[in-house]
Amino acid sequence: MNRNLYSHLARQNLKKNSRVYLPYILASIGTIMMFYILCTLAFDEDLRSDMYGGGQMAVILSLGIIVVGIFAVIFLLYTNSFLLKRRKKEIGLYNILGLGKRHIAKMMSFEALYVALLSLIAGLALGMLLSKLMFALLLRMLDFAVPFGFSVSLRGLFLTLALFGGIYLLALISSLVQIGRAKPVELMRGSQQGEREPKTKWLLALIGLLALGWGYYIAQTVESPLAVIGMFFVAVILVIIGTYCLFTAGSIVVLKALRRNKRFYYRTRNFTSVSGMLYRMKQNAVGLANICILSTMVLVMISTTVSLYIGIDDSLEITHPNEIVLKSYAEWQADVDRMNDIVTEAVSRSGASVVSRTSYRYFSVTLTGSELPVNQTKGKDLKYGLTFVSLADYNAIEGMELTLGEGEAIVCGKAYSGDSLYIEGTDFRARVIDVRRPLLLTVPNADIDVGYCVVVSDLDEVFEEVNQGAYADGRTTSAITSYAGIDIEQTGGMEQALYSELYNGVIEANLDTYISLRSEERAYIVSLYGGLLFLGIFLGTLFSMATAMIIYYKQISEGFEDKQRFEIMQKVGMGLSEVRKTIRRQILMVFFLPLVAAVIHIAFAFKMITKMLTLLLISNIQLFALCTLLTVLAFAAVYTVVFGLTARSYYKIVRA
Amino acid sequence: MTILEVKNLKKIYTTRFGGNKVQALSNVSFSVEEGEYVAIMGESGSGKTTLLNILASLDRPTSGEILLRGRSILGIKEGELAAFRRDNLGFVFQDFNLLDTFSVQDNIFLPLVLAGRPHKEMQERLKPLAEKLDISDILKKFPYEISGGQKQRTAVARALITRPELVLADEPTGALDSKATDQLLKIFSEINREGQTVLMVTHSLKAASHAGRVLFIKDGEVYHQIYRGSVSNEALYQKISDTLTALATGGIKSE
Repeated sequence: MNRNLYSHLARQNLKKNSRVYLPYILASIGTIMMFYILCTLAFDEDLRSDMYGGGQMAVILSLGIIVVGIFAVIFLLYTNSFLLKRRKKEIGLYNILGLGKRHIAKMMSFEALYVALLSLIAGLALGMLLSKLMFALLLRMLDFAVPFGFSVSLRGLFLTLALFGGIYLLALISSLVQIGRAKPVELMRGSQQGEREPKTKWLLALIGLLALGWGYYIAQTVESPLAVIGMFFVAVILVIIGTYCLFTAGSIVVLKALRRNKRFYYRTRNFTSVSGMLYRMKQNAVGLANICILSTMVLVMISTTVSLYIGIDDSLEITHPNEIVLKSYAEWQADVDRMNDIVTEAVSRSGASVVSRTSYRYFSVTLTGSELPVNQTKGKDLKYGLTFVSLADYNAIEGMELTLGEGEAIVCGKAYSGDSLYIEGTDFRARVIDVRRPLLLTVPNADIDVGYCVVVSDLDEVFEEVNQGAYADGRTTSAITSYAGIDIEQTGGMEQALYSELYNGVIEANLDTYISLRSEERAYIVSLYGGLLFLGIFLGTLFSMATAMIIYYKQISEGFEDKQRFEIMQKVGMGLSEVRKTIRRQILMVFFLPLVAAVIHIAFAFKMITKMLTLLLISNIQLFALCTLLTVLAFAAVYTVVFGLTARSYYKIVRA
Repeated sequence: MTILEVKNLKKIYTTRFGGNKVQALSNVSFSVEEGEYVAIMGESGSGKTTLLNILASLDRPTSGEILLRGRSILGIKEGELAAFRRDNLGFVFQDFNLLDTFSVQDNIFLPLVLAGRPHKEMQERLKPLAEKLDISDILKKFPYEISGGQKQRTAVARALITRPELVLADEPTGALDSKATDQLLKIFSEINREGQTVLMVTHSLKAASHAGRVLFIKDGEVYHQIYRGSVSNEALYQKISDTLTALATGGIKSE
């Protein structure tokens, strides 16, 4: 037999099986394209070296490469195994008609070669075209000017070729091994074997229910943002366990219960769906649970990264209320005066025109809820940070004219419930006022759950007392810190000039001072969160594509199996419109069960995620809620489109 | 009373682009009286299956007419066909056509569920039927757990539970061993004795020898027919056998 025969056969086979091969090739192209784009971005030298924070950007993108790489291996091998299962009968027929195993291997090698060439060429071509676009998008997210020019990343090209070439080779080898082992008769029988009805596993269902309930309970009851991080992973693992158990065992329990309900079950609309689902669940439950978890991950990833990115300026407002921030561990007023002198001098030397200047001194103490008059049921285990400032400083910052009586302190923060403040042997009458804006360090952060600002008349005296009390208790307090903030008129490069003047001044005076620029900090955060957002959207798209593909294939393969069932039902008296309705119902359930479960997971995780976001100084819950909602809607929209396409293909197969 | 009347049925299959035409039925006419048990015999390719498919309203003839109790079934709209089949016809197939996803009982209930009947009625109908067909013990089992004979009896129960005008059986013994075949044929005779009209397509001599009348189809036409009269199964068997031999060697002229 000549060589042309095999390549001809291979081409023919691909054409004939286009219904299953086309999505596979499209998915391959998509995956290859995304992988190449990520490589291009991660390996880009300009991005790495020219940009502030470009290094960490590259690290984030490299992580992305690894994730996409692993994903590509699993996804393409899974899809390939599906394809093989579909074609076993056809291959068995070739075998019986006299094509030896060796010849089949040759034919399939040609097929694999065609698929690989087609996907790689198209994928890389699209990748090269779109990488420029993605590059521009990424740079825009990072607030960076977009350079012109078109370049091809050789390293990315080689890495892509190597990885995907390897995957295709692996897929081919696994197919050949499977076919080599099977007898023609087995091949002919293919995937059609009588499946037994799944057993009811009460225990597993119960475990699933408990795990899920527990996970949800944790998510709802954790109050402290500090405790959230640890508990989040516990909750996630519990929910994952719960999801798998409930999808595998719980679904069977529910369906069997439905079947036992005669009045529900023996209805035209429920009869075929319930029994069909029951029959299917055995092989599909794990897949559906996978899809559910994957969808949840996509939704959480995208909504949080979007929130982080949008909230950048909010969080900067908290950490950097002023454009230039100086913090000095200067205990005495004299040091503060020196720092102020340095600032004045630096400003005049740099020629910047100052819009506003603030300076104050503070110290903070951390207490647990049991030591404070706060809500003892909910707030007992939280950590509270008290930041003390003097009345003079507070009035100056906030532009108020508050006064204090003897032994009185003002506590800023509504949640404080009490009329006294007793701390380390110091006793105050407390007057609680509402805060207009959170003063530095009184917002929840990585160290405290709740922050109050305490205004006293003599800061040094209180510091002394509190410190002594703390020594007696064997605890430590922070030193007094001086804060100085400067806002200047935004004229090009002025910030940087002032920054270096300040830096030199501080060095000369030998003050223990930390200076930071808001713009610099901003660039840093933007590159971090922008990178995360980019990756979030990127991976989100990829995972959504994979989810859709997995469902599509699942349904198509079921369509082939269901064809006969529907034929029988038509003979027994099921009308075409009923067939169509039943199919829609069945696919609807398979499609939207995981999505609905994912949305419920997210609803329960919401509180926990907002708590975690507060650690990153994002406290705008509405923003996060909106982001989550929009993400869910977008995802559901994509899902619905795929659902429509799948239902149509499925119907065509069943009707053929 | 005539229950089924088939007049001048003709069926021509045309390939998609109109190139080849194959005449499956050239001119078939016969009628079935109420309570009759008719077997249609013929070799492969004689047009039996085409005929049955048309009678079952699964396929449409090129020309001709079919009347069920005087009403033309060819005039029924596509959307109502399924309901028509469900209410008037019962099917028994060679390969059983049971659904793996349903238990034996649910398989039998299927047409009633599709017809939207209440569950109580289903139970009431099932009980005597299951006893008659000796499947009461396996109602909870699934098709993959029971034997071929049991499967076919389940299929018979499914065909009978709607109390159809006419039971159409397509090679019902084709996939059964001899013991199961005997049992099934006994059941067919029994239900026929109780008044059920049965039309069976087969090329098994044994199956046909249980019928009250045997039609022979050759080249798309009813070529010959034999009435049982009062003879035994064995005698009818012999008569059929002789007829088939004559048919094959071209001895008999069309009546």
